Amino acid sequence: MPTKLSRRDFVRLCAGSAAAISLSGFLVPFIKEAAAAGGPPVIWIQGGSCTGCSISILNTVHPDIEKVITEVIGLHYHPNLSAGAGSLVIDEMYRVAAENSKKFYLVVEGAVPVADDGAYCIIGERNGHHLTFVQAVKELGSQAAGILNFGTCSAYGGFPATPPNPTECKPVKEIVKNVPIVNVPGCPPHPDWMVGTIAHVVLYNELPELDAFGRPTMFFDKIIHDNCQRRQYFDNAIFAKNFGEPGCMLELGCKGPFAHCDSTTRLWNGGTNWCVKAGGVCIGCTEPQFPAWPIYERLPEMPVAPGITATVDQIGGVLAAAAVVGIGGHLAGNIYTGRIGSKKNQDMKEGDE
Amino acid sequence: MKVVLMDDRHSVWIRIFHWINMVAIMLLIFTGFYIHAPQSFPLFGNMDGARMVHFAMAYVLCFGVVLRVYYAIAAKDAHNIVFNPKKDIPNLPSMMKYYLFMSNSHPDYGKYNPGQKAMYTGWLFMALIQIVTGFILYKPQVAFWANLGDYLGGDIAIRLVHLIVTWLFVLTVLAHVYLDVSEGVPVLKSMFTGKIPRDFHGDQSADKSA
Repeated sequence: MPTKLSRRDFVRLCAGSAAAISLSGFLVPFIKEAAAAGGPPVIWIQGGSCTGCSISILNTVHPDIEKVITEVIGLHYHPNLSAGAGSLVIDEMYRVAAENSKKFYLVVEGAVPVADDGAYCIIGERNGHHLTFVQAVKELGSQAAGILNFGTCSAYGGFPATPPNPTECKPVKEIVKNVPIVNVPGCPPHPDWMVGTIAHVVLYNELPELDAFGRPTMFFDKIIHDNCQRRQYFDNAIFAKNFGEPGCMLELGCKGPFAHCDSTTRLWNGGTNWCVKAGGVCIGCTEPQFPAWPIYERLPEMPVAPGITATVDQIGGVLAAAAVVGIGGHLAGNIYTGRIGSKKNQDMKEGDE
Repeated sequence: MKVVLMDDRHSVWIRIFHWINMVAIMLLIFTGFYIHAPQSFPLFGNMDGARMVHFAMAYVLCFGVVLRVYYAIAAKDAHNIVFNPKKDIPNLPSMMKYYLFMSNSHPDYGKYNPGQKAMYTGWLFMALIQIVTGFILYKPQVAFWANLGDYLGGDIAIRLVHLIVTWLFVLTVLAHVYLDVSEGVPVLKSMFTGKIPRDFHGDQSADKSA
């Protein structure tokens, strides 16, 4: 029995611990049991999105994606992962939904375009007619036990719903009412957030605890800025002026001070890195108004004339300079007319003021 | 030596609230600009201290505003400083003429002229805007503030409003300090002593006292 750990053993131990700490990986055996005992089926539909959320979930490490779809969840439909295609799988999707009414969970990825009866997003064919995304969300969503919005688009509108928004994209909560909704925002969301949320609903058959914006508190109760590796730079007033410099990236437009998620501690790509550690700014992708702000600037600029914008500080500085000039002019007038200065006392008697 | 008759102008409470709010607002403006853009406004050594002062002064301003409003109601001081459109708008032209040197005198407006009333009433609303937007930015983990912030357009919009109103404070404080000091040193002094020479405002007040 060796008393010393070899390097190899040590690395293996560390990897094992990481797997144990990662919530979703730790839960696999329990979820497997729950799924075997008839856990709720899951249907994943995709609309006004870039498929980034699906790509992100493929990147899940503990457990890996193969385990997720074969053992963790009964995934009955996914536009990219389903082997079949066409009306075959669409019909199957509706059959599963009807058979498991109020028992299955609907995962929605992407915003819902509603302009022209949803004609701008057709996800398949049903009974010889186009099946629009808005129709699918309405019909399946109203039968679901709960809707899991994966990604900022389905949760809050995200990129597709940003003006000018010609297809009138809307978040799912404006399409389906009276069905419990869990928002897992992010652009894309971390695979652990998605797998962890699915694992939670499959294992406990109830929704996780949510914050004010419908996000599971287990992943979204922390502010990026509070746990950022560069936080000490902020407290010590060391600020980066350019990318690649050490220092807090506040003035480069980092939105960490109001963005909620646990990327700082969870890290991406299997615990390798995350946005700020990679030298980028936080863009606040988990917030309801994302992406309604400039990514590399502290604050949006204000319009001052058609086609011309300026920062609030520039406008304020110009106005303050104008005020100082105005004060100087008025002061000169005051002295000239004798309201202040040596002439004042004589003039007072003549009924001034 | 000539005896100068003095009239009471500012009660001790008005003076206390004035200077409390003045200190709070000045510190909030300076720390606020530092927090907003520490490189463009390098006024403090570190963010920790600036933020602590900012949050402490935010609470001081909250109490200052609440107490000042309470005083205005309880001591029936409100009619002196609240802008009353019906009464004050007709007085604006004569005041503007006086400020633009188009006339040498202006009628007696009471304690403050309509411009001052408009500015002081505006400050109440500006302070309330700053308090509400400030708490939204300060307490994002409290559901009430988070929901209110979302309803009002999100944190970036809130931040923008907070900054714009800060600039309004800067501009109005500049005007306030200049106009009061240029009116005469006794006006500035009265905010410390509470008293102002009886004949300072000319004939009108003398007529009233006669």
